[in-house]
Amino acid sequence: MSVEPDRWWPFISSGGNRMDFKNFSLNIAQTKVNRFVDELAAGKFMATVCKKCGKKYYPPLADCSNCMQSDMEWKQISSEGKLVTFTKIHVPPEHFAVRQPLMPFSSIQFEPCPIGIIAVEGELKIMGWIPKVDVKKIKVGMKLKASPFTLPDGKLTIVLEPM
Amino acid sequence: MKKVAVVGIGHGKFGVRSDASLRELAFEAVKACVDDAGIPLKEVDSMVTGIAGDEFALGLQPSAQVHDYIGFHPKPNFRVEGACATGSIALRTGIMNVASGLADVVLVVGVEKMTEVPTSTATEIMGKAGDSIWEYPFGTTFPGYYAMIANAHMAEYGTTEEQLAMVSVKNHYYGSLNPYAQMQKAIDLQKALSSFTVAYPLKLYDCSLITDGAAAVIIASEEKAKAISKKPVWIVGSGLATDTLRLGDRRSLTSILAAREAARIAYKMAGVGPSDIDVATVHDCFTIAEIVAYEDLGFCEKGEGGKLIAAKETYVGGRIPVNVDGGLKSKGHPIGATGVSMAIEITKQLRGEAGERQVKNAEIGLAHNVGGTGQVVAVHIFRRE
Repeated sequence: MSVEPDRWWPFISSGGNRMDFKNFSLNIAQTKVNRFVDELAAGKFMATVCKKCGKKYYPPLADCSNCMQSDMEWKQISSEGKLVTFTKIHVPPEHFAVRQPLMPFSSIQFEPCPIGIIAVEGELKIMGWIPKVDVKKIKVGMKLKASPFTLPDGKLTIVLEPM
Repeated sequence: MKKVAVVGIGHGKFGVRSDASLRELAFEAVKACVDDAGIPLKEVDSMVTGIAGDEFALGLQPSAQVHDYIGFHPKPNFRVEGACATGSIALRTGIMNVASGLADVVLVVGVEKMTEVPTSTATEIMGKAGDSIWEYPFGTTFPGYYAMIANAHMAEYGTTEEQLAMVSVKNHYYGSLNPYAQMQKAIDLQKALSSFTVAYPLKLYDCSLITDGAAAVIIASEEKAKAISKKPVWIVGSGLATDTLRLGDRRSLTSILAAREAARIAYKMAGVGPSDIDVATVHDCFTIAEIVAYEDLGFCEKGEGGKLIAAKETYVGGRIPVNVDGGLKSKGHPIGATGVSMAIEITKQLRGEAGERQVKNAEIGLAHNVGGTGQVVAVHIFRRE
């Protein structure tokens, strides 16, 4: 029998349907661009656009440093683009570190997932995990599509997959 | 700008220094520095301390620990930070202090004690020197960021893993000749290439070290410099430039544009060009970073960095010797101290005191120090009389 993630992570469903930014990022829960997470959960990649100069920001920013003003609008952007670069991190930071197993004399085989950055609509860059391509077969310039993905712990993340 | 010179240098032993605290490490460097300058500390007017991380120091105001421990009260201390470029930013702040006339003689201390936290915690602290909201959730680490620069560079210019390893072999060779280095051990290409992958394509021997250590210099105005030192080394160019916080937002992933801008400013101020540089220390936090630095500093054309190391042109005797103190790779990289350590190596080279590693008749030297994933870069140019 599978256990519904919500039973283990009750904070996800509390407060109605609204997602907290903490569900995307590891540390930051409070920001003016929280709508990004809700839209991402619904499958949309949203940028903010400065109403004055038209500059587009992804990741979305609440303020335009170009005009020093904060009158922004939300705009959905393409989620398809070309891979700019990638890596596969074998030695992870603390948050992602693999713990020793509780069972004596047992080891954990760690096979990390590659990550990469795609460029969409020219300049905008989306970072994400690349779970479905072997790192040796990943090539700069290959076409990938970004999608939201809900992890078993309820956290929302972004994956980049071949089209 | 008013003339400013390095008149004293002091380098502590780099390594896993579980025998000493942050303040004790700093004391070693300061003591060596005042001895070298030949003046008592009370003749120093002001102090700048570079410590990159409160997280490493495990508390707020770590520079006060250093200031107090060397007994510098009631004179002023000013702390600066800029990730791995902290030491060079401290040097520049010291220069500003002298050039403004607020002080004539300034002590610049760079120190970091990174091994008091576990390696995975250090990896996390460093990883968050990128963008903690938009990059770190993808498990990014510092090797990871530079691995992405490496993959972009390899895809665009055909740079190879062998060429990356050649940088490591060179820097380990020179580190083996540097008594202050963390790893005084030469390696061969096969050892570098067969080490385990840290972040593809970077392997263990492509990565610099997690290090405890301190370095200090005393700098002075023209009048004081001539009174204090027989061999003042003049700081003739100082460039500091910045770029976006996020790697993905950069206009180039194969170049560190802030380094190009900092170099342009420093060269212009010094009235010299890349071909005038006799010896350089560059920020080889990862082997790819040294190759990119060759290109950003104009030591070779864009995309030719791999060929420059393959031709051994960055060894002593080559066209432009680079990191002949072992670099961050082998000397170690206590992030707050690194920039000051670079200034010390260039000063030694220009004084003709580098021993086996000496670049013959070196007259003009350059130090290139990168913070974050290229978010901030300082370039300094030094010249002897």
